Amino acid sequence: MDTFLQIVANGLMLGGLFAIVAVGLTLIFGIVKVINFAHGEFLMVGMYLSFLLSTGLDVHPYLTAAAVAPALFVLGALTQRLLIQPLMSARDEHVQIFATVGLSTALMNLALLIFGADIANTPAHGVRSQVMLGEVRILTGQLWVLAAAVALVIGLQLFMKKTRTGRAIRATAQNRAAARLMGINDKFIYILTFGIGAACVGLGSSLIAPLYPTSPTIGTYFVLIAFVCVVLGGLGSIPGAFFGALVIGLVDALSGFYIGSDLREAVVFTIFLLILILKPSGLFGTRMNLSHVSP
Amino acid sequence: MTRASDTPMTAHRLGLIAVAVLLAGLVAVPVAVGDQFVYHIFITICIFAALSTAWNIVGGYAGQLSLGHAIFYGIGGYAGVILVNLGISPWIGMFAGAAVAVVAAIVVSWPCFRLHGPFFALATIAFLEVFRVLALHFRELTGGATGLMIPLKIGWEWMVFRERLPALLIAFGMLLVCLAVAWAIRSHRLGFYLVATRERESAAKAAGVGTVKVRLMAVAVSAALSAMVGTFHAMYLTFIEPESMFSLQFSIQIAMFALIGGIGTVWGPLLGAMLLVPITEFARGALGSEAIGLHGFVYGVVLMLVVLFLPNGIMGLVHRFTAAPGKTVGEQAAPVAAAPRSAEPREAGREVMRVEGLQKHFGGLHVTNDVGFTLREGEILGVIGPNGAGKTTVFNMLSGFLKPDEGKVSVLSPSGEWQQPVTPGDFASIGVGRTFQIVQPFAAMTVEENIMVGAFHRHPHVGDAREAARETAHRMGLGPYLNAEASSLTIGGLKRLEVARVMAMEPRILLLDEVMAGINQTDVRRAVDLMLSIRDTGVSIIAIEHVMQAVMSLSDRVIVINSGQIIAQGDPHDVVRDAHVIEAYLGKDFTHA
Repeated sequence: MDTFLQIVANGLMLGGLFAIVAVGLTLIFGIVKVINFAHGEFLMVGMYLSFLLSTGLDVHPYLTAAAVAPALFVLGALTQRLLIQPLMSARDEHVQIFATVGLSTALMNLALLIFGADIANTPAHGVRSQVMLGEVRILTGQLWVLAAAVALVIGLQLFMKKTRTGRAIRATAQNRAAARLMGINDKFIYILTFGIGAACVGLGSSLIAPLYPTSPTIGTYFVLIAFVCVVLGGLGSIPGAFFGALVIGLVDALSGFYIGSDLREAVVFTIFLLILILKPSGLFGTRMNLSHVSP
Repeated sequence: MTRASDTPMTAHRLGLIAVAVLLAGLVAVPVAVGDQFVYHIFITICIFAALSTAWNIVGGYAGQLSLGHAIFYGIGGYAGVILVNLGISPWIGMFAGAAVAVVAAIVVSWPCFRLHGPFFALATIAFLEVFRVLALHFRELTGGATGLMIPLKIGWEWMVFRERLPALLIAFGMLLVCLAVAWAIRSHRLGFYLVATRERESAAKAAGVGTVKVRLMAVAVSAALSAMVGTFHAMYLTFIEPESMFSLQFSIQIAMFALIGGIGTVWGPLLGAMLLVPITEFARGALGSEAIGLHGFVYGVVLMLVVLFLPNGIMGLVHRFTAAPGKTVGEQAAPVAAAPRSAEPREAGREVMRVEGLQKHFGGLHVTNDVGFTLREGEILGVIGPNGAGKTTVFNMLSGFLKPDEGKVSVLSPSGEWQQPVTPGDFASIGVGRTFQIVQPFAAMTVEENIMVGAFHRHPHVGDAREAARETAHRMGLGPYLNAEASSLTIGGLKRLEVARVMAMEPRILLLDEVMAGINQTDVRRAVDLMLSIRDTGVSIIAIEHVMQAVMSLSDRVIVINSGQIIAQGDPHDVVRDAHVIEAYLGKDFTHA
């Protein structure tokens, strides 16, 4: 029983980690209607920034979020302005897909060029110490990640529901043309949203950096899992992505123990395929206007 | 040369000569230079060009963006190496690999066809990950993470050589096979069907294209070719492991070459690989481990630049310079060669379609309520009714696009039996053709190619279909636009193209959904003549129409639908005086007007 509880706890902690990566991805998809294949590389860039800042200035990696999140906001906003915006009206879908695939390839290999294939260990500053919750051992850093993910989801929901800008963002997502008629600057909204989505993963990267060694390819692993969480929770839904991430975290931990640690990914991706094929709107998804991206 | 027809013969020939020179160079250059490293670069070019050409059949022609094509390459590689270790020649192993890859391709693709664009891409990535994880897991078969070596058996029989020349010849041969297959598909019916399905799936279905079948064929061919190249590449590398055989980056590269060269064109993938592979290999050879990541960085940047500034790739650039100076498409349309209308009202023939008790609900909305009627041979049946009355829903049930909740649609087959078709394909093959209210041209195809998609229904050979399409185009007054891109037509032209495509199918029953909406007076008159001339050839027509002038002068009989029910039917002049009809259109106050 202790082992089971420990596995469940590990799964939830892992879920928190996936959630903080997935939230930005689903936000960008829900509003801009673009699947950002470079999202994992955004995470990787954030983790390297966190590593460089915390080792260079000898500060706690969490403090670097103050610089990393704004930096990622700029990266995201520039991506939208320079790469996605010129392609928004493209007739063929493949153009947008290859645009972010190209960005992903370029960023990953740039990191390889600069940092080499070796891993970079961000100093832990105590977040890898364990705490006992009853019978269960957990890393403090994992608890912080989960807490941050919850705070981020609630914060984003409040922002989207209660603020003027948030309402403008939702209106643009619902109907771009009508939003423009209401005087909303849709191009600005898309740039802002892409920036916020990237800043979310920037925040996440400062929290993840002390827990995971940073490498140029770290993003690929996380982004593929994040896609699974996002689709599971219903594309574009922020709370959906959060709960999807918890489910996938649990599946990952349980299948790793009961089926075999080398087959965890096979289980996760099989679930992903089943959801995509059988229920593309996701487990918690509400129907949304995807007319131009799905059948 | 996908658009051979719209470039002058000389440009076409120049293109073929250029391709021949490029291909000859792939063998001649390394032989002339004689350097091992140059050989290696050219072998790699051939392998990537072949893989990219195979990918293009699915990713380009069919428009299914696979980012998991390494699945098939990896299956081919593993099949080859595993069999070689059992003492079986890779020449046999590559066919075994191809067979497994075809099965895998069908299993992977079939459920994914309902996914579009980025979702299809994500699903293929997920399948690739599953294959990679399974290859790592089943160590007894694949050697797991440690990988598999091939035994050092040298000779043609084992595809392993001391010199590089034989390897180059095999790689070059495989490239030629892939190019030949890609060219053959693109220039035959299958290629037209694939592009049509990519551009407008529903219109392709209405034209009788088995959209799932043609895509499965494309995927199967593409997978088999990829697997065969994979077998050879594994022999060439002498060592394989799951991380390199089932690699996402590798899959992306394959797709990238096609995109950069020109997605959906026959020669684009070849050009893309010839341009980019040398960059990789030189970076690797000249800079060594210093430059790890450099080629990938260049690839990524080139990909973004191409997408932004050259979305049709190198082939797009080539076309811009070689294409004949664009004929300015004249504004005035050619007259429709309509037969003069016979003065006598024709006698309606036997029944050809029976519609009985159709019911359809969308959620709580009762959109079709007990609709039933019959259609006779050589009759024009007008269907009118206010907006939202459910006319198009009825049409969708008469052509297999919607399944009625209750009721049935029976069609008299050419052999004289009553049949009940179910799918759009069934309706098309029994001779029911339809148009769409919102025009659905295959935008990336020329007018002629659009009509050919319909003509293939009766004429499986390209030459015959082209001839039939031209004939139909002239009848529809589209003769001057044969080589224009469909997307360049005016709305009136598009409506006529819509009719032309279905006419080329030589249907016995024609369903026309508002072909006159939004077109000008001249075009309306022309369309009326056109429909009468079609009717006079013995075709039965059901036409949804709002343009009353057209309905009155065309229809032998009229059905009025309101709120999903037939509220009146009969002679057009009687129906418009019917009180229910006036009420439906104008409200109760006007019933005595």
